[in-house]
Amino acid sequence: MRTNIFVKDRVAVVGAGLTLFRRRLQETPRELAWEAAKQALESAGLTFDDIDCIVTGTAPDAFDGLHFNGEYIADAGGFGKPTVRVYVGGGTGVFVPVAAWWHAASGLCDTVLAVAEEKMSPAHPHPQGVFAYIWDPILERPLGPNLIWIFAMEMRRYMYKCGATKETIAKVSVKNKRNALDHPAAQAAANITVEDVLNSELLVWPVNRLDISPVSDGAAAVILARENEARRITDSPVWVEGIGFTLDNTHWYNRELAFPRYVNYAARMAYKMAGIERPWKEIDVAEPYDPFDYKELHHIEGLMLARPCEAPKLLEEGWFDRSGELPTSPSGGLLGVGNPIAAAGLMKVAEIFWQLRYEAGPRQVKKPVHYGVAQAWGDLMQAGTVIVLGN
Amino acid sequence: MVWKAWRIGDVIHYPGSEEVEKYVYTPGIHGIEFAKALKEGRILGMKCPGGVHVPPKTYCPDGSPGELVEVKGPWRIATFTVVYEDIYGNPLPEPQVLALIRPDDARRGGLIHIVKADPDAVYIGMEVKPHWRPPEQRTGHITDIEYFEPA
Repeated sequence: MRTNIFVKDRVAVVGAGLTLFRRRLQETPRELAWEAAKQALESAGLTFDDIDCIVTGTAPDAFDGLHFNGEYIADAGGFGKPTVRVYVGGGTGVFVPVAAWWHAASGLCDTVLAVAEEKMSPAHPHPQGVFAYIWDPILERPLGPNLIWIFAMEMRRYMYKCGATKETIAKVSVKNKRNALDHPAAQAAANITVEDVLNSELLVWPVNRLDISPVSDGAAAVILARENEARRITDSPVWVEGIGFTLDNTHWYNRELAFPRYVNYAARMAYKMAGIERPWKEIDVAEPYDPFDYKELHHIEGLMLARPCEAPKLLEEGWFDRSGELPTSPSGGLLGVGNPIAAAGLMKVAEIFWQLRYEAGPRQVKKPVHYGVAQAWGDLMQAGTVIVLGN
Repeated sequence: MVWKAWRIGDVIHYPGSEEVEKYVYTPGIHGIEFAKALKEGRILGMKCPGGVHVPPKTYCPDGSPGELVEVKGPWRIATFTVVYEDIYGNPLPEPQVLALIRPDDARRGGLIHIVKADPDAVYIGMEVKPHWRPPEQRTGHITDIEYFEPA
């Protein structure tokens, strides 16, 4: 069953590009965005002149240390053209192609460049300080919370509800860092064991150092085009089959933290548009957002690729390996490739694009692929963004 | 005036602080060359299809790689303003002229800089030249040019 929303044209992804993800890069944010955009254009055989509209995305300006950072990076081919920046915190990376889809599906633009960039290294002494400003300034900030605290509490709640152990959850980190060994842009690729994760520095129990993705600089870009234009550009367009986005309650302490409702609602919206009724059977490859290792399992359940609390068991069976039944984060994810916030989400969309074109090289999943889903999550843990692609 | 009557003490408030102590910015790939040249007392631009851009970027507007070239001027004032108060509203000891300065041999861009001249004597189209700090004081900052002065 498809929704009866009015879509003037089908829209396809026709190109993707990615810079290196690194802890500190010499390039300016603008140069990173430009490099990713240029790669995406070259992969589609296009130039900046062929682009009608631009959508940019970066997470808080406070990382790059530049206000209007979205407009600043729009210099990646954006001047003299309709340009807009979208922002939902960490969910921005997937929201950028969603907004690009509006532009093309409405018939407003034939070709849209979607570019996301994040440079976290300018903020000193540590970019973690920037996150202090997402909490209620009167009720929560005086306690000195940081991001890891609240995720530690969410992780603990998930472990309690689902009976997941630290050992099982650590396997996500092991899998993703190993997958990233095949990714040319990867920052944190490694062959590690569960023991390495458990023995790494304990930050905020139950979160150890290797349970978390690194701090990164980087940029990613994709090109979207309306059907007629897409068929002119390439013989193998990857169609945007569905999009979804939801905002949950800002009061995170009012939610059942063990299940990510913000992802679930966004996923249901995207699946409905795509005509997908049984995502656990119909989705062939997934890129759930994995800034923490438990988060991948959490989001797999939110995306309905496993029943609630079933993901840890399936992980143990190798279900989510690259050779498994439903490969997740074949790119290496945020844990392996790196986490330049907005760019990391778009990297996941780019990975699904490459997987569905069978262009992922050594990262290509074993099974044949028809539908893939990428997801990101952001703001105060309440924004869910989902995109379903098909070939 | 009404808006001056409302002070922070008039509302119940909780003070907060900035937890990012500082930012460190990278100048970018061509920004490094620009900074090096400033130390040598030279100003670089980028030659692109359509003209020279100052300051240089990594890329030209059409996406092609540009070529770094020295921009020699002459420099002219494209527009200017005169500053009388600092950001806190305190009067400056003497008015300061700030100008957008473009070199004749560049088609695009230009530098924003201080012009050391009598505000009444400054006009659009006036030719100016950079006044460099002594070489031992140069650090690769835009302030290595202390100011521009009438040529």
